[in-house]
Amino acid sequence: MRLPLLVCAILVAQPLAADPIRFTDHEDREVTLPAPAQRIASIPIPMASTLIAIDGATDRLVGMNPTAKSAIMEGILGRIFPQAREIPSDITAPNFIPNVEELASVSPDLVIQWAGRGPDYIDPITNAGLTLMTIRYGSEVLTREYMTMAASAMGRPERIAPLIEWRAQVQADMEARTAGLADEDRPSVLYLLRAMDSLRASGTEDNYNAWYHYLAGGRNAAEDMVGGWADINVEQVAAWNPDVIFLNSFEADLTLDRILNDPILSLTNAAQSGRVYKMPLGGYRWDPPNQESPLTWMWTANLLHPDLFDYDLRAEMRTAYQVLYGHELTDADIDEILWMDMQGGQANYAQFAAP
Amino acid sequence: MSIAVDQAPRRARLALRFGAFPVMTAGLVLAMLYSISAGRFEVPMARIVEILWARVWDFSGSPETMDERIVELVRLPRVLLAALSGAALAVGGAALQGVFRNPLVSPQVLGISQGGAFGGAMAILLGFHGVVLLGMSFVFGLAALVLVGLLARINGRTEILTVILAGMVVGAFFAALVSVLQFLADPNSSLPAIVYWLMGSFSTATWARLGLALPGMVLGLGIVWLLRYRLNLLALEETEARSLGVNPDRERWFIFIAATMMTGTSVAVAGVIGWIGLVVPHAARLIVGEDHRRLIPASALLGAAYLVLIDTLARTLTASEIPLSVLTALIGAPVFAVLLRQHFKRAWQS
Repeated sequence: MRLPLLVCAILVAQPLAADPIRFTDHEDREVTLPAPAQRIASIPIPMASTLIAIDGATDRLVGMNPTAKSAIMEGILGRIFPQAREIPSDITAPNFIPNVEELASVSPDLVIQWAGRGPDYIDPITNAGLTLMTIRYGSEVLTREYMTMAASAMGRPERIAPLIEWRAQVQADMEARTAGLADEDRPSVLYLLRAMDSLRASGTEDNYNAWYHYLAGGRNAAEDMVGGWADINVEQVAAWNPDVIFLNSFEADLTLDRILNDPILSLTNAAQSGRVYKMPLGGYRWDPPNQESPLTWMWTANLLHPDLFDYDLRAEMRTAYQVLYGHELTDADIDEILWMDMQGGQANYAQFAAP
Repeated sequence: MSIAVDQAPRRARLALRFGAFPVMTAGLVLAMLYSISAGRFEVPMARIVEILWARVWDFSGSPETMDERIVELVRLPRVLLAALSGAALAVGGAALQGVFRNPLVSPQVLGISQGGAFGGAMAILLGFHGVVLLGMSFVFGLAALVLVGLLARINGRTEILTVILAGMVVGAFFAALVSVLQFLADPNSSLPAIVYWLMGSFSTATWARLGLALPGMVLGLGIVWLLRYRLNLLALEETEARSLGVNPDRERWFIFIAATMMTGTSVAVAGVIGWIGLVVPHAARLIVGEDHRRLIPASALLGAAYLVLIDTLARTLTASEIPLSVLTALIGAPVFAVLLRQHFKRAWQS
């Protein structure tokens, strides 16, 4: 399932300067660019690192969400691309309301914004005469669509095909191996988007995490819950008694101790059998859809079904980082991304240790 | 103080004849028992009795199995904290209504809750929890109340209408400050914590948190209890009260501080839970009448039972926790509307 190294060769090829670029975005807006966008401002959080991955460089990213910047500076991307520190992050508030004056001052030829949030998020950008492209969050299909749009806008269509192909291949491989799984052979999985104070779990409706847990041969412990996300209490977790618990990578101070030291949560199947894990933080946080998603799926699958899956995750990561960012991962880099220090001793986690 | 003063003695007699206090106490105990038996995790009633009974005889052991821990470490502290907070919020409301001689005021109407919310949110933003959060809730709740007092006092007189308007202004001001904090908060860490906490919930109740809430609430309840006779005098006209040897200003401040202590503490441990201080004293007045010697303990009992039941609904109706404010407001807002109409109808007629 390696991401073909061929892409690296294509990477150096010059984009062709030719006809205007035209495509339709997630609000059915016709986006027209006279030439590949050279200055892009991204308001949605995960898009910033996706743009860096598509271009293999940070040069064309001229503005991003402050939260995107903190994810980049917190993780390995900030070390691969130290110049990202200089990219302005005051073009928007963390809540995605654009600051038009700041936005205009970096003179972007393309601004990326969330779709479906109403005119307050959109009108200031279009009224300022800036070119807008909107993207919709939530599913693998949408993710592939907006990655493709971004690549078109950057004049790098050749770059996106292998990335999409990689996603499709890994997905197909997993589906083939989990297709025959009966429900009782699927471990129940609880993903906690928040866990520091209150607990917030992922429902099944339009939920990306629940989608890839199923793909990897699990089932959502919270499947009877209404909606995509909901706040729950420890008693509900005890009632579900999940086999595996995944902790988010958003809360920087969150560690396994949150579960293992809790009088109730420590008695769940997951905690008792050592199957509590924190999601890795790579080029972006591994929980939501992003350019590294197939790595998330493989990590999840190896943990949920060591009987069905044995992806060589370290090798897959090395290849992917080479293709996505042109970076040679060291063993120490990988250990840090996977939190080996904190969770190397958890069940089935030794498979990810450096040989 | 316009709610059917002429009917009050008759109601009080009726209430005493039917033993209102034993009934209310029994109601509270039943509510708490029901709440301990209800939850998303199935524990049979017989098993709950067994667990609690074993604990009564052996206080030294620690709960081992899941059902023991659910009952002893999750439900018991939660039910007790909900009961204590309900009593504190209701008594705080009843006391403030006595001082202002108006059944329409409450910690929320006077901006105390919003001030406390700002203090607590700031504590979370700065990374503080526990005692600091509690202290900041109290200090800013008190600051809000002082501001309302200063704004509403015109030419040495304090009209009820100006108090309520001043409370709205101060409440709106602190609500805006809370919005500023939410705007500044990190959407990955402190923002969800602040938002969740503001909506009000006992889902993080523990024995430690109950211990944290106990001093402020018990002290507040104690002060109001001791001043229950004085509250009857404070409810009189200012000059009348002075002629009876009361120093209204000083005693008012005792009540204010007690009410703020209770509101600030409940905001600190469970977020902003509105409407209790308004709805419960009203119900208590219908049962035992206007006399604060009866109204205060009745409000405490009813408030405790009411919040225990509301919280039980919040944590059992669906898999996800329903914010308490949602439920209390759904019931509280219509009751407030009815109260407001009655109040002004009577005011126009007299």
